[in-house]
Amino acid sequence: MTRLTDLPPAQAQRLAELECPDFKTRPWVTGPALSRRRVAIVSSAGLVVRGDNPFRGRDSDYRVIPGDTKPEDLLISHISINFDRTGFQEDWNVVFPLDRLRELAAEGVIGSVAATHYSFMGATDPVQMERNARELAGRLKRDQVDAVILSPV
Amino acid sequence: MSALGHYLEEEGIATVAISLIRPQTENTRPPRALWVPFELGRPFGPPGDPPFQRRVLLAALRLLERASGPVIIEDFPEEDPRAQPDPAWRPPPVPSGGASVEAVAARLDTEIPLLRGAHESWRARHGRTAIGLSGLSIADCGHYVADWVRGKAPPSPRDGFSPPLMLRFAVDDVKAYYLEAGASAGKPSSRQLGDWFWNETAAGAAIHALRAACLASDDERLKLIAGNFMVPAARVRSAG
Repeated sequence: MTRLTDLPPAQAQRLAELECPDFKTRPWVTGPALSRRRVAIVSSAGLVVRGDNPFRGRDSDYRVIPGDTKPEDLLISHISINFDRTGFQEDWNVVFPLDRLRELAAEGVIGSVAATHYSFMGATDPVQMERNARELAGRLKRDQVDAVILSPV
Repeated sequence: MSALGHYLEEEGIATVAISLIRPQTENTRPPRALWVPFELGRPFGPPGDPPFQRRVLLAALRLLERASGPVIIEDFPEEDPRAQPDPAWRPPPVPSGGASVEAVAARLDTEIPLLRGAHESWRARHGRTAIGLSGLSIADCGHYVADWVRGKAPPSPRDGFSPPLMLRFAVDDVKAYYLEAGASAGKPSSRQLGDWFWNETAAGAAIHALRAACLASDDERLKLIAGNFMVPAARVRSAG
C-alpha cells in the first residue's frame, strides 16, 4: 500500500500541492442503469499500442487503443518514472481493465464495452488537454458510449 | 484525470475517475471519483487478481448510478495484497563487479544476456512483455545505454527520435526487461524488485552513473531527461 505518506517527502508535497484547474461549473450527466451503459476506458498512463507513436513529453493529444488490441501490444510511454510499472507489466488490467469490462458485459452487469479506448499523458497540464478532451467526447458519442472509466497512474 | 472527467462531462458524457492522490481529487472535484489506497501505477490494484480488480471496477461504475451529485468522492476499503513483500522470492543472480564507469558499462553488456532465461520464463508465465518503446532489441538497448555510460553520446538509430529521446526509451526498455526477469519466479512486491534493480544490478548502477553524467553536461535537454525521467525520486542517491 502506498499513500502520500509513503512517498519521499518532496514528491508527496509536489503531488499534493499540484496546481489543479479551478473549474467554475460542476457538470453532472445522468444516464440509464449500469446494465444499459456502454463503457469506455480513458487512461492517463501514456498508453500506446506497440508500433504507434509513443508520447515524447507533455503531449496534449491522445492515443487510440482499438478494442481488439492484444495485451502484449499495449505499452506505457508515460514520462514519469515515479509510479510502479511492474503491476501493468504482469497484468494490463491493473491499468487498463478491459478484460474485467468484457466480463461485466458478458454477465449483463454493464450493457456493452466500447469499440475503442483512449489514453492521454497524465503529466501534461490538464488545461492543455481541454481541446482534445472535448474532441474526444465527440468520438465517444459516435461509438454510443455513455459512461467512461478514467484510469490514472 | 479529474480534469478530463470535467471536460467530458461538460460535453455530455458521464464519467467516474479512479483517484490515486486524494488531495488532487479533492481540489479538482470531479463529478464522481473512487479513491483507492494503492500505490501509484496500480489504479485497479493487484496484478493477477481478477476478483479484486472486479471489485474496484464495480465500486467505481456503481457511482454512475447515484442520484445525488456532483461531487462524489468515495474510498475503496481494501488494501492491495500484492503490495506486501514475498518472503520466498529470490531474484536471479547477477555478477558483482567494479563501480568505475567502464566496469559498469561492461557489466551491463554482459548482464543482459545472463538474464535471458529468466526473462523467457517471465514471458512464458505472463504471455506478454512491456519492452518495446525503443524499437530496438534488448541487447541493442543495452549497448546503446552502455555507450552513453561510456560518454560516447551515440547517434540515434531511429529516424525521428533524437538521441536523448532514444536514450529515455532505451532506458525504459532495459528497466522493463530487468523487472520482468526479476519477477520470473514468485510474487515480489514492486519495492522488492526496485531494491534489487537499483542496488544490485549493473543496469541500476549504469542508470545512476548516466544520470550523474548527464546532469553535468551542457545539453539542457539531456539534463532534463536525465534529471527527471531516469531514476525515481525515491531512488536518487544524494551523491548522484
